[in-house]
Amino acid sequence: MVQKNDFTRINDYVWELPPTYDGRMRVPARIYGNEDVFEMAFRDQSVEQLMNVAMLPGIVKYAMAMPDMHQGYGFPIGGVAAFRYNEGIISPGGVGYDINCGVRMLASSLDYASIAPYLKDLTATIFRNCPSGVGGKGAVQLSAQDLNAVLEQGAEWALAKGYASRDDLERTESYGQIAGARADAVDARAKERGLPQMGSLGAGNHFLEIDVVDEIYAADIAAAFGLVRDDIVVQIHCGSRGLGHEVCGQYIRVLQDAPRRYGIDIPDRELVAAPVDSREGRDYLAAMAAAANYAFANRQILAHFVRRSFEQVLAGKVRDWNLHQVYDVTHNVAKIEEHSVGGQRMKLVVHRKGATRAFPPRHPDLPAVYRETGQPVLVPGSMGTASYVLVGTETALKDTFGSTCHGAGRMMSRNAALKQMRGEQVRSALNQQGIVVRTDSLKGLAEEAPYAYKDVSLVVDSVVGAGIARLVARVRPVAVIKG
Amino acid sequence: MGHWQEIEHTADLALHLWADDLPDLFTTAAQGMFAFIVTDSAAAPTRAVPVTLEAQDVETLLIDWLNELLYWADVAGLAFTTFDFTGLTPTRLSATAHGRPITAYAKYIKAATFHNLAVIKTSSGYETEIVFDI
Repeated sequence: MVQKNDFTRINDYVWELPPTYDGRMRVPARIYGNEDVFEMAFRDQSVEQLMNVAMLPGIVKYAMAMPDMHQGYGFPIGGVAAFRYNEGIISPGGVGYDINCGVRMLASSLDYASIAPYLKDLTATIFRNCPSGVGGKGAVQLSAQDLNAVLEQGAEWALAKGYASRDDLERTESYGQIAGARADAVDARAKERGLPQMGSLGAGNHFLEIDVVDEIYAADIAAAFGLVRDDIVVQIHCGSRGLGHEVCGQYIRVLQDAPRRYGIDIPDRELVAAPVDSREGRDYLAAMAAAANYAFANRQILAHFVRRSFEQVLAGKVRDWNLHQVYDVTHNVAKIEEHSVGGQRMKLVVHRKGATRAFPPRHPDLPAVYRETGQPVLVPGSMGTASYVLVGTETALKDTFGSTCHGAGRMMSRNAALKQMRGEQVRSALNQQGIVVRTDSLKGLAEEAPYAYKDVSLVVDSVVGAGIARLVARVRPVAVIKG
Repeated sequence: MGHWQEIEHTADLALHLWADDLPDLFTTAAQGMFAFIVTDSAAAPTRAVPVTLEAQDVETLLIDWLNELLYWADVAGLAFTTFDFTGLTPTRLSATAHGRPITAYAKYIKAATFHNLAVIKTSSGYETEIVFDI
């Protein structure tokens, strides 16, 4: 079994396992993190899962894990891997079931003091307007025709229907619409699951949070992002709901015999893959893009209903309740991008599973508004703890295909978390910190308790230390809605 | 008589299953899964859903089966407790799943995964481990 001393220390924040460790590895495996974070990686199966990724055909440079890495299924969570477009593979398990799970941040020009008297009412109104939990219907009803438009147009559909502004789309990764999406690549069952769920948060680790900006690290960049100390922001964390789960499951199922058909040797059946340039590869990319577009539209609809909630509660009471979008990032996706590998420009399929794109200033894929600052990176902490806003860097582009961490990273199983405290106790502890909590599942609250996760500041220190993101601002929660 | 045990997993749900034969394996896997989804898994069934599946091997058939039941849980809000298998080989399944409306969810399971999946034939029946994405 792989151990810490099988790795070489590249620097204080990067650790490398050479491919000679296991003859099946095609490239080295790299773990990002300071020494404490690196040691945490050996508590579960995540390092073995990372080695499996390094064995996939067409992989270039390294199989990488960000400091929030933990055990998943197939890829580890926090995994980043890029494959040659021409001779490489696309793996649905390298994206996961919650396609385009991601985070959106909205910012206000209201300080905490001005909304404090209305915070409980505001939280209750958002909880009512933004459905959460299992089994519920979404905030908007779609026709079958609407759904096909959502799948191919993403946030553009929301704009056409009056749920978004052009500014929102400009401040969304890939402008809220991944190219190449085809509604006909998404099968009827996935559509059936997605139809009633548009505009819903879901359950598990998904959340909606009201926060206060409590630290600014880079004043010029924070100003460009519209972040002001003491002002209120909102974070929305969710994905493509049942539609994305069904798309992933169906393509993993379809590809079960692909290793035999295409001679692709895989170490784990969850990592089944197809050549990017095969019928199955193209179909999966088109279906994944469609599911990702559904998720962009979903977070856009939720943002719309958060804005409506602010208006319902605060109109006539405070001077300006408007919320502008800071950014929306996806952290479960595979994207076709061009990167420099060994001094050569190369078309790649970059898989980010529990990792965030972090493009630097002047990257051509960034919108004009963030061309000079670099891309905002949203890193939510565990419930009740701080979250961070970072910005992408040249080092990230050079070293990690423009990728960085996506959150705190789970450390404790749900069972172990449940043994520490009951949901009522977790809620009470959060209330004592001045945090308003709304949830339909107290058990879910206990499973997501802060002690189940790594300290997000350790994760952020590691990506900043490694140079794959820069600090911009920190926010702390004042209200939490848990799915 | 099949039984299952939860295995520690950092983020998801993993079950180890033991079963006497194939129908027992498929029943135990489904019952183990629904024990985590609902709070009252012993409630009597009120609806029946026919399921027919074909797969290349028993592992794929097992995951297809569980994901088929998760599909019904998602679109119809049903939890399944008992199963009648009219045909079950390592590559074909035909069954009736008996379920009832879910009144309270304990956990949402996104999917049953193929992660490191292998159904092992033992001297006393079958054993396997399944990781669920939650």
